[in-house]
Amino acid sequence: MKRRAFLASLVAAAAIPRASWADAGNPAYLAAAKDPSGGYALWGLSETGERLFSQSLPGRGHAATAHPIRPEAVAFARRPGTFALVIDCASGALTARLTPPEGRQFNGHGVYSEDGTVLFTSEVVAEGSEGRIGIWDAAQGYRRIGEFASNGIGPHEIRRLPGSEVLVVANGGIQTDPSDRTPLNLDRMRPNLSYLSPDGAVLDQVELPDMWQNSIRHLALGPDGLVAFAMQWQGDLAEPVPLLGLHRRGTEVILAEPKDAEMFAMQGYAGSIAFSPDGAEVAITSPKGGRVQAFSAEGAPLWSVPRADVCGLGPCAAGGFVATDGQGAVARVAAGRFEPLSSANLSWDNHLVALG
Amino acid sequence: MRLLPLAALFLAAQSVLAPAQADVPEAISKEILPGYAGFTAAAQALSDAAQADCSSAALQAPWNATFDAWLGVAHLRLGPIEDKGRALAIAFWPDPKAIGARQTESMLKAADPALVTADGMAQVSVAARGLFGLERLLYGAEATDTGAYACDLRRALAADLARMAQETEAEWHGGYADLLLTAGAEGNTRFLTRAEARQALFTQLISGLEFNADQRLGRPLGSFDKPRPERAEALASGRSLRDVALSLKALEGFARALAQGLGEIPLTEAAFARAHDVAAKLDDPVFAGVAEPGTRLKVEILQQSVRAAHDAALSEIGALLGVDAGFNSADGD
Repeated sequence: MKRRAFLASLVAAAAIPRASWADAGNPAYLAAAKDPSGGYALWGLSETGERLFSQSLPGRGHAATAHPIRPEAVAFARRPGTFALVIDCASGALTARLTPPEGRQFNGHGVYSEDGTVLFTSEVVAEGSEGRIGIWDAAQGYRRIGEFASNGIGPHEIRRLPGSEVLVVANGGIQTDPSDRTPLNLDRMRPNLSYLSPDGAVLDQVELPDMWQNSIRHLALGPDGLVAFAMQWQGDLAEPVPLLGLHRRGTEVILAEPKDAEMFAMQGYAGSIAFSPDGAEVAITSPKGGRVQAFSAEGAPLWSVPRADVCGLGPCAAGGFVATDGQGAVARVAAGRFEPLSSANLSWDNHLVALG
Repeated sequence: MRLLPLAALFLAAQSVLAPAQADVPEAISKEILPGYAGFTAAAQALSDAAQADCSSAALQAPWNATFDAWLGVAHLRLGPIEDKGRALAIAFWPDPKAIGARQTESMLKAADPALVTADGMAQVSVAARGLFGLERLLYGAEATDTGAYACDLRRALAADLARMAQETEAEWHGGYADLLLTAGAEGNTRFLTRAEARQALFTQLISGLEFNADQRLGRPLGSFDKPRPERAEALASGRSLRDVALSLKALEGFARALAQGLGEIPLTEAAFARAHDVAAKLDDPVFAGVAEPGTRLKVEILQQSVRAAHDAALSEIGALLGVDAGFNSADGD
């Protein structure tokens, strides 16, 4: 392209109003699902659980992350992931496809920089599960521009502290077989929660030496930057441990103990985690135990709700949480109550990703 | 051969195709409610016996009868039994850190009269209550304790057990059974579709079989290099194998009820028959043989036969009910 034509196209681009999340019908959530025929898709959902749009996925999805400005989201494959799809949420169209470099695998989660120019992806080196954070140029067609170490084995969810560029990574600690997800190091795993600068410097690291078999996997961030992490216990299920931790840089971790009668309810497994919109409550889900457990932001147990195969969880604007399950329900879960919002002949997958 | 009138043929066919009871209603009316009624009656008899005579000798028989009755419903981990920590308070096992034993010991030492009352029991840790709390006082080192506090504690634990059994049964009759039976009806937010109710009961069957294989048998088996006979369930009372056998019997009845009216389950029935047979021929009531290669193999074969019943039920009954293991629960991330 000649310089004059290039400049002209820049001007033209600037003159066209950019699409915004409003143009996408303001979806409140994204969630992957399996349909009865065995196909997979990413869905946009309204605040009340209505299905607004869908985009087919080439395989089972896991989580997604939304661009902070453009109505655009990246849907990630379930680990070991071979694809991530960039979807225009206004039209439902596929706009880019990310493939991990040779020898790398996506791990199901990613996050944008605050200005949306860079996408960070949670990845492993296929052989050995050493963690990597992939860097992609979200301003120029999602070109791979680099990577840095995640500071651990088997990173899973990655988030960004609100109002900053500091990344938070849940290094699950589990080394897996590169082809079939078989865990290989449960007798010597060492998970951690790491705070990384956008160029990969380790700013802080949290470990739980007393429960090193508790894989730190999923993250939620309170409005004030409180980091909540959900864990999956790889030790003896007859010796239950807390599955929710709360952390703020420079302070000690708070481990949230459930009530006595609830200590086995989650079967050692938390699948998703979210804060309520006001940040006062944080909840975790367990599809294995069929339970949602809510705690205060100080870690005190508040209430729980039974629901088979429940997993996806996000904040509900009306208060409390919205949960999804493998039976196709989208429901508000608040103050110990389960209120169905919608149901579909779909199996909602692990995560419900809140937008905005 | 005399031909049957057409109407009779039609009626016969209809009774096969559309029985009055099927799957969820059948499981509730033929298995769940009678099972809980039996547990309530046995626990009440145990509590009555404890009031009359709190010696361990007098209570072992009614305690065993209560445990037997519990195994008829122990695989049901949904509804009222999951409220207020009842399932844990009735049967706190496995307990690898021996929390229950430590609690029982410290309760006997402290002899706090406030705890051995109906209200006081609610303050006691779930690990110290129920069938295993009583087992320690009837078979353990504390069985010979003839002190007044041990007597009061036996009575309080038995009364607590009877109360939980009665409440659980009452709540099934007073609403929970209806939630399952009216799955999909307007206003039923617990079970949004009939498939969800079927799924919920099917999950109990599958989890119950897994519990027998992985816990009741898997814990004492440990590994070949490190067998753990001391981890067997109800070791002190010597009923580890009996627990497996009775649980399998209850699960088979539950499996048949779930398949009722939907189709035949020959693979599941054959697998259960084999598991019963293996259990009946195993002459090792507390799985003490897991430490010796020759006798260990017999316990391993029982475990394999339970897993075979699990696999058969999962595919055969799952297909009949149109359900499978949960999408998210089966394969986490």
